[in-house]
Amino acid sequence: MAYEAVIGLEIHVQLNCTSKMFCDCPNRPGDDPNTNICPICLWLPGAVPMFSMETLEKATLACLGLNCEIQPQSTFDQKVYYYPDLPKGFQLSQHHMPLAKGGYVEIIDENKKPVKLRLHHVHMEEDVAKLVHETEGRTPISLVDFNRAGTPLIEIVTEPCIRNPHDAMEFLKTLRREIRYTGSAECSMEQGTMRCDANISLRPEGSDELNTKVEIKNMNSLHHVGDAIAYEIKRQTESLNNGEPIVLHTRLWNPEKHITTVMRAKSEGPCVPDPAVSQIVVTDEWLKKIAARLPEMSSRKINRFVTQYGLMHDEAVQMSSEIELSAYFEAVIKNGSAPRTAASWISTQLIPAMKEHNYDFKALPVTPAQFAGLINMLEKDEINSNSVRAVLEKLFETDQTPEEIVEQFGFRQVSDMDALESIVKQVIEENPSAVENYKNGNKKSMGFMIGQSMKLSKGKANPKRLQEIFKQKITNS
Amino acid sequence: MQETIFSYMDPAPPCASENNILTGLTVAIQPNLSVRGWPAQAGSRALEGFTAIEDATVVERLRQAGATIKGAIYMSELGLGLTGNTGADALKNNKADIVLITDNLGESRVSACAAGVFGFKPSYGIVSRFGLIGLIPSMECCGILAKKLADVSRVMSVIAGNDNRDLSMPDFGPDFGPESGFEFESGLKLPDFSRVFEAKKPARSCGVIKECLEIMEKDEQSAYEAAISKLAKRGIQPIEVSLEDFNMVRTAHNIIGAVEASSSAGKYDSVRYGHRAAGSKNWNEMYLNSRAESFGMPIKSYLFQGAYFQHENYNAFVDAARIRRRLSAGLDQALENADFIMLPTIRKAIDPFTADTVNEIYDSFPWTPIANITGHPAITLPNMLTCKDMDLGMQIIGPRFKDANILSLSAQLKDQA
Repeated sequence: MAYEAVIGLEIHVQLNCTSKMFCDCPNRPGDDPNTNICPICLWLPGAVPMFSMETLEKATLACLGLNCEIQPQSTFDQKVYYYPDLPKGFQLSQHHMPLAKGGYVEIIDENKKPVKLRLHHVHMEEDVAKLVHETEGRTPISLVDFNRAGTPLIEIVTEPCIRNPHDAMEFLKTLRREIRYTGSAECSMEQGTMRCDANISLRPEGSDELNTKVEIKNMNSLHHVGDAIAYEIKRQTESLNNGEPIVLHTRLWNPEKHITTVMRAKSEGPCVPDPAVSQIVVTDEWLKKIAARLPEMSSRKINRFVTQYGLMHDEAVQMSSEIELSAYFEAVIKNGSAPRTAASWISTQLIPAMKEHNYDFKALPVTPAQFAGLINMLEKDEINSNSVRAVLEKLFETDQTPEEIVEQFGFRQVSDMDALESIVKQVIEENPSAVENYKNGNKKSMGFMIGQSMKLSKGKANPKRLQEIFKQKITNS
Repeated sequence: MQETIFSYMDPAPPCASENNILTGLTVAIQPNLSVRGWPAQAGSRALEGFTAIEDATVVERLRQAGATIKGAIYMSELGLGLTGNTGADALKNNKADIVLITDNLGESRVSACAAGVFGFKPSYGIVSRFGLIGLIPSMECCGILAKKLADVSRVMSVIAGNDNRDLSMPDFGPDFGPESGFEFESGLKLPDFSRVFEAKKPARSCGVIKECLEIMEKDEQSAYEAAISKLAKRGIQPIEVSLEDFNMVRTAHNIIGAVEASSSAGKYDSVRYGHRAAGSKNWNEMYLNSRAESFGMPIKSYLFQGAYFQHENYNAFVDAARIRRRLSAGLDQALENADFIMLPTIRKAIDPFTADTVNEIYDSFPWTPIANITGHPAITLPNMLTCKDMDLGMQIIGPRFKDANILSLSAQLKDQA
């Protein structure tokens, strides 16, 4: 029988608030263990939780960025369970009345069609402490680091509306981009600031039933999510084909072995209203103030880049992948570059160079004006593409204009016909077999000859002109 | 005989400020109210060796106003009921002017009745709970026991009011009086406790909950009716009010209280403080053994009840919460017609100080839990409702956040008695 997968995702996102959710301890992952703690986040007797407005603001911003409806009233519940990472025997979360309902994320699905993947709700939740298991040494011990206890999270729960691994990954990519745009979270799966669990079930293709699901945890990258879902669909299909029923349980993704394995059954605790944290009432007026802080979201920006600048969809997605990048891109255009050329040079030259130098757009020393100047020289054939990277390297270090750098370091492209012709002549003389091969129809030989010419010109020759001269000389010989 | 009354006495009380509103007043607290550096065991082995690291807001304010916090009395485990509580003895033996007893289901009012003094449970949310090692967060209040009504209002004038460390408190604006024309965003004004005794409006009506008569013993009922007619003779007309769910107060309180207690006591895991059982193989066993050895029987069953409603019968909790809301609205409405609601405080034949099961605890608090469920202020007045020489304690309940009014009414009733 042909099966269809029904996939729902639950995503935890760490908000980048300066303080914790119910106390004013700093929210700084990476600090020394148990340095950012107080009686409230340790839940010492007599402590009473406060509530951070920053958490509410950032959570609301993220929800607005995901097109959710902010609820006028929301409340906190206690998720009751006992574990050493939980100093009070319950986790404060929103179960009965979440902060936001509905919402969607628009992706291009596997069949290249735009589709809106719907969210069920988004709620706020406190993170728990981190357990560090020391297995080396004579006696294995577990240590508890409370720095993370009480730091703010939002949990995004989708409808079971995802059908394949591709769409799940696209969903996560888009979700991450949109939330980053709101400035409320970093959303790095690798660094654990975004964590994703997947619920997967199968049903006969064309049916609309919802069958017993299996939950997958421990997917620490986008690719883990795609791979784990693909594996789980295969595993469940085989089970059903062998006549084995699917039972509700949780599995862990093993990225080394590329399989999911059964996780120890964990009893799902009850959720009871919390009597200590008061109800959150959101007024229209306040909501308007928060909404005004929302930037143009990436989904709209992508469409605008396509219509306004004539970018291809892929290019528009790339130029919108980070809010700072999109601002840089538009600034380069304002400085006179053609949009598609700018997009192409940003993605092929600037971004790789930035990665090498460990720069992000916030700290990038190359100004949009400098970069536009560079592109401008390239367009005018004043330099060749080989020199772009070299000029860029200098731009990372100095405040000079690209023109000055080109002059100072002699990057100007040699387009002078006499100079080029003498180079071509030399290459033809030194490589008779390559010339012969080209004559016999081996097009690759042209590349070799141009390469040799570039070497002779120390990379400054204009390769387009070189090719013209080669063709002319060889045909005429 | 101080050691039988106090579990801890401050060896060197800080010098009280002079000429302050509470200068000279001595206060005894329960060891569930945090005083920095004091043992705070809240009557439970689960907190063995725990020392408070911050002052409770109430403690901080009392000291700033010149009061001396003398020491801590003995209390029941985690403050549920009055088993073993020595607050009444502290007052009877003149060991303190004020005793603060956390009121979860009537503890401050019932023990005041036993001591023959005033016992006031303020409105929920008017006194900060910061630093209180509580049990039932949505009901617990800082109860005040005092021989003089004036001391109750002096203490209230110091401890009541906004504290941003307790979220369950609404934002109060100060009360500038009706003629000021000043309105606050929340609409709530902090009562002016300095004017409690300048009563302008004499009491005219006393609400009598019809349904409460049904659960009274014969002689309790006649004592109650006698008290009503005494009031009537003074021009305070009895008004019959109906609270349909009155007989559900106990059940609703028990379910909600147990559920909240179960969560509140979840932190007692023996990891960071408190008694830890020896010889456990893993953390789970350590939790179980330590909790088994730490808690006494009534608390064990109460927490177990709470866990049962959380895990197995959540619907009962939802029902209880609904009944609670109806009771609260019903009481609000009754108080629109009557100046106050009058009830007895204790039962004739049941001793709250020796109760050792959850049922016995609830049996000994028949009339008081309603104010904890609804959050209304309530006070017990001594010697105004007696049954064959036994003081059943006249309890009057007033509108929420009008705590000064109820104190003002109490003064009128006492003066006229």
